Amino acid sequence: MELVFLCLLILVMVVALSSGFPVAFALPGSAIITIALAAGTGYLFADDASAYFAQDGPSQWLTAGITNFRSLYWEVERDTLIAIPLFVFMGIMLERSRIAEDLLVSMAQLFGPIPGGLGISVVFVGALLAATTGILGATVIAMGLISLPAMLRNNYSRPLATGTICASGTLGQIIPPSIVLIILADQLSNAADQASTLRKAEYKELTGEFALPSELDISSASAGDMFMGAMIPGLILVGLYMLYILVVAILKPNTAPPVPYEGSYDRKYAISVALSLVPPLTLIFVVLGSIILGIATVNQAGAIGAVGAIIMGGYRLTQGRRHQYTPTIMAVVAIAVIVMLLQAADLNIKKIANQQEFVSVLLAGAAVLVFVAALVWSIWRAYRINNTLVSVMVDTAKTTSMVFIILIGAAMLTSAFRAFGGEELVRHFLTGLPGGFWTQFLVVMLVIFLLGFFLDFIEIAVVVVPIVAPILLSDTSANITAVWLGVMIGLNIQTSFLTPPFGFALFYLRGVAPPEVKTTHIYKGAVAFIALQLVGLAIAGYFPSLVNYMPNRTHLTADTAPPPVNPRLQLCIEEDLFPYYADNRQPLLDAIEKARGLDYSMLPEDLREDMMSGFDTAASTFDRVAAVEGTAAAVAGFSGGFRALHQQARRMQRGLDKLEGELEEARRQLVRLERRDPPPQDLIAETTGTIRQLETELAALEQGMSETWGVQHSQYKELAKADKIARGQYRRGVDEAYEPLAKLRTLLLDVDALEDAGTILDGVDRIILDETAETAMDLIKEREGVLSELEGASAIRSALSKARRALRGDSPDQEKSLAQLASARELYRGELDWRREAASTLLQPLNAYNNAIRESIGLRMQDRLPLDKAKSVATCLSHHRDISLHF
Amino acid sequence: MLIRLLEIAAGYPRLLRVLAALMVSAMLLFLVDNFFVYWTEWPGIGAFLTHQGLLTPARNFKALEGFPLIAGWIQFLLFAATLLLVVWWVIRTPGRDMDDDGRLFDALASYFTRMAFWAVLLVGLADSVISFLRVEGFLPYIVGDHLTTQLGRSIFRGTWVHYPLVGIAAVIALFSRSIGFIWLSLMIVAAEFTIVISRFVFSYEQAFQGDVVRFWYAGLFLFASAYTLMHDGHVRVDVLYTNFSERGQAVTNALGSLLLGLPLCWTIMILGTSSRGSIIISPLLSYEISQSGFGMYTKYLMAAYLMVFALTMGIQFVSFFLSNMARFTVPRDETDERLAEPGGAPRGVEA
Repeated sequence: MELVFLCLLILVMVVALSSGFPVAFALPGSAIITIALAAGTGYLFADDASAYFAQDGPSQWLTAGITNFRSLYWEVERDTLIAIPLFVFMGIMLERSRIAEDLLVSMAQLFGPIPGGLGISVVFVGALLAATTGILGATVIAMGLISLPAMLRNNYSRPLATGTICASGTLGQIIPPSIVLIILADQLSNAADQASTLRKAEYKELTGEFALPSELDISSASAGDMFMGAMIPGLILVGLYMLYILVVAILKPNTAPPVPYEGSYDRKYAISVALSLVPPLTLIFVVLGSIILGIATVNQAGAIGAVGAIIMGGYRLTQGRRHQYTPTIMAVVAIAVIVMLLQAADLNIKKIANQQEFVSVLLAGAAVLVFVAALVWSIWRAYRINNTLVSVMVDTAKTTSMVFIILIGAAMLTSAFRAFGGEELVRHFLTGLPGGFWTQFLVVMLVIFLLGFFLDFIEIAVVVVPIVAPILLSDTSANITAVWLGVMIGLNIQTSFLTPPFGFALFYLRGVAPPEVKTTHIYKGAVAFIALQLVGLAIAGYFPSLVNYMPNRTHLTADTAPPPVNPRLQLCIEEDLFPYYADNRQPLLDAIEKARGLDYSMLPEDLREDMMSGFDTAASTFDRVAAVEGTAAAVAGFSGGFRALHQQARRMQRGLDKLEGELEEARRQLVRLERRDPPPQDLIAETTGTIRQLETELAALEQGMSETWGVQHSQYKELAKADKIARGQYRRGVDEAYEPLAKLRTLLLDVDALEDAGTILDGVDRIILDETAETAMDLIKEREGVLSELEGASAIRSALSKARRALRGDSPDQEKSLAQLASARELYRGELDWRREAASTLLQPLNAYNNAIRESIGLRMQDRLPLDKAKSVATCLSHHRDISLHF
Repeated sequence: MLIRLLEIAAGYPRLLRVLAALMVSAMLLFLVDNFFVYWTEWPGIGAFLTHQGLLTPARNFKALEGFPLIAGWIQFLLFAATLLLVVWWVIRTPGRDMDDDGRLFDALASYFTRMAFWAVLLVGLADSVISFLRVEGFLPYIVGDHLTTQLGRSIFRGTWVHYPLVGIAAVIALFSRSIGFIWLSLMIVAAEFTIVISRFVFSYEQAFQGDVVRFWYAGLFLFASAYTLMHDGHVRVDVLYTNFSERGQAVTNALGSLLLGLPLCWTIMILGTSSRGSIIISPLLSYEISQSGFGMYTKYLMAAYLMVFALTMGIQFVSFFLSNMARFTVPRDETDERLAEPGGAPRGVEA
């Protein structure tokens, strides 16, 4: 029965959508209607409102829908969506203040004289505008209005002109900061969580182990990741477009003739070009740069963009009036002052340490005030001139609301879809497809492509992605990243928007194109760009590292980068280091021997022993590496033949599970039937027949699980286990080799601090003798605190606290206390002596040793990866690694 | 057939006006009833009707007696009187047409939106100032130790700071004529930019700064929804829609409002308030705040946003329904009857 209602749901949705009622309400409305119908029928015919749901009842699912609805702003995890109104504000402000238009005009003037230059500048501006508006319709219409007449006037061929505009207009979907990327990120991170749960369950079921090792987990996608992932594919597309136009212009000069600039190239021209190009470019670089460098969150970057747009609007709107540039100059100067102050001093307002910092903070405060004044001035201008501010705010509010209410509505629909078991159905369908992941992927992409004819990007992202993405992401053989999936979906929908006869971009352009441009021209123009899109799609699909590299790199180089000891990074770090070990075996061994040959006699015994065993372990690293290489080669060698068998076995396993499920269900059904009064004999007979049939099928399948599978599987498991152990030994080995060195270096580097701390033991005897026991204990306790912050001073501290404790109780024992104090001094002197000596003789050679092994043997113990290692690890992480054999 | 049905219905404008007015009043009364049920000792209309045997009692239902029973009667009579009054008003104003009533409901929805905007603006400003003073420890110097402790309790802050401000907002909204909520988009930019400045220049970041952005941003898109509907800003799949005649579009809008829009609003209102544990009522009753401790104390108000959304959208849908029905009664020249050609080519393609 659920199936009937699932079909009904889809039918109602199709009718509601195609009736033209706003999508944001058509989606949840159809969900509610269908759930209500299912509940009503259930109540009438089965006496139970929840009878026709896959599980739970109508009110649970509706409540789930509303909870989902609320989670949009209720859960802190979905905060990245806040970036949407900010970027929308920025885009609309740039458009209303005509900065976008200026940009297009001056680009055209600048590039016009080269072959195809006008077309190239349209692409360029499309990419930039994309970065600012990101709403398909708006970009295509704006570009169609501004650049189509110019291109036609200059005798561009109509197909080329229209194709260029449509294609550049759709760039906004994929080039950051685009709104749809933010929404995709939001949906995908949710999907990645679900996929991770799926994968964990599978791992537990197949291997019997409870915790999924984190390196086998799914990599999620934040909005920043999506932006960075889409960056390179987006640029590739831009490059392809430009190249195409250039080639056409050279081969067929009459389709894209150069446009000579009429005026003279004088200073005035240069200034006007600079004025219209530099500010928007700077703004976009600041916004994207701050995200890519991992400095600002996407939301903060959005706020920077919006404020920048307001300031720019402030001068553009007042063209030719008095003080046109005054607020802008104020703002720029203020920012310059702030940046200089930040370089010069620590402006942390909570930790003002001295006069100089106080003055700096005050100055920075003043600069911020100047900036705010400039901002308010610009806002005031935007408010007064042509009511720009209000129109920007109204459009921001409307666009934001339009986007979000769809998100909300889709949440309700997804809930209904689940209620009727739709998700299970899709999963069974997809996983049942022959050919594994890539068939599933292609089918999903095709469906999305077709949906792109009827639905806008946001609808697809929020309706389709939650249903299919978890399935695709949880696949272990392809083991794709969420970012890559998102970018592929983005590129796919973008292509769909360009494809005749339904592509959205074509309609939008048709709406604003002059009548002499025929629809066939638009179609013809689009075809070439569709081909380019497909090339771009193929490139990004075939080289996933193009997508994954940027997010990984930022992740590993940001301030919050994971330390090299993070388990997810180990395989890649080892992949990077093992060749290094092979090439640098002798220098490393020499460094170890040299360090071992130093004189450690002044060290306390335990430290000396630690150091020596550290050297032994370090020298044995190469054996451990060899062991790992051996086990890894064995695993790799075995996997080759084993993979096919494994795949087959897992597929059969799924068949078995499914049969078992059906059998279970049939048995339950039988019990239910038998309980009825009177028992319906014919139905019982039928069910018994089904059960028998299922049992034979099951037995046949179990027989079919070949003997070799069991043998080979346990062989594989042995090998994999050996590999795991060898890697574990290597990792523990390098840690043990480096730790004593790190510890000793800290002690030696700390020697000055220890020396300074010497004064705190002075005068303690006076305290013990003269003060009351209470006060003395407090004072000593204070000094203990100072000692506890020093490395390796714990023995001294404990002696001192013994001295304190001797004063405790009714009869404070001053004698004993003084004795303990003396021993603390003794200890201190001893400690200081050996450390001084060691620091003067050992520190330098040990530093050299540290430098020699820091980025190899000692790498795991560092706080963060060095830049070049981060880059190579990011590259390694960017490949999709087949992990199916672990399952 | 549907068109025929709607045409017939459109022939009875006064009936439709009664219907619309009843729908709007029902929503408002539903709110009032929730107030009675969860914030007073009164039983609420549901319990009263159950007591009278008109509704199936829930498992743990207790019969009413004493004061609640009397209160129940008073409530029932009040509600019935209100509904009768509404019907009487419609009948007594034959000069008004459906568009007039539509505009009235528009104004009502705008009033609620405006009030919500002012409330959110004032509460957001006041609470972020209080949160700032509190987290920095300045509060005791300004209001004394006792009040500082009190302001650290969400019930106190809700009762003595937020609700009075909401009251003031209700008054401002009566006299102000602006659309208001659009300013939230600028406020979000300002609030998020404050984070940028304080974080990057002064290395200062507190939970309440993020809270105020979230508080305003949620308000922005939920409150803007009714306005967006009024100005036809919600995106449609317009492959067919743009080729409909004006009447066809009116059918879509009128039926859509009734079948798709209003059920959504009612679902939110009913399921959000069905018990003390439901997702609108529960945070409101417990004055729920965010986990961050020193953040703003306004999270519970964000639960009420859903109510504002459902109410304003509900009223707006009724108005939308009326104004689209009105398009049937206006005489139209016959050439416009192009509805019968379904699935015409998408916009502009035939050119």
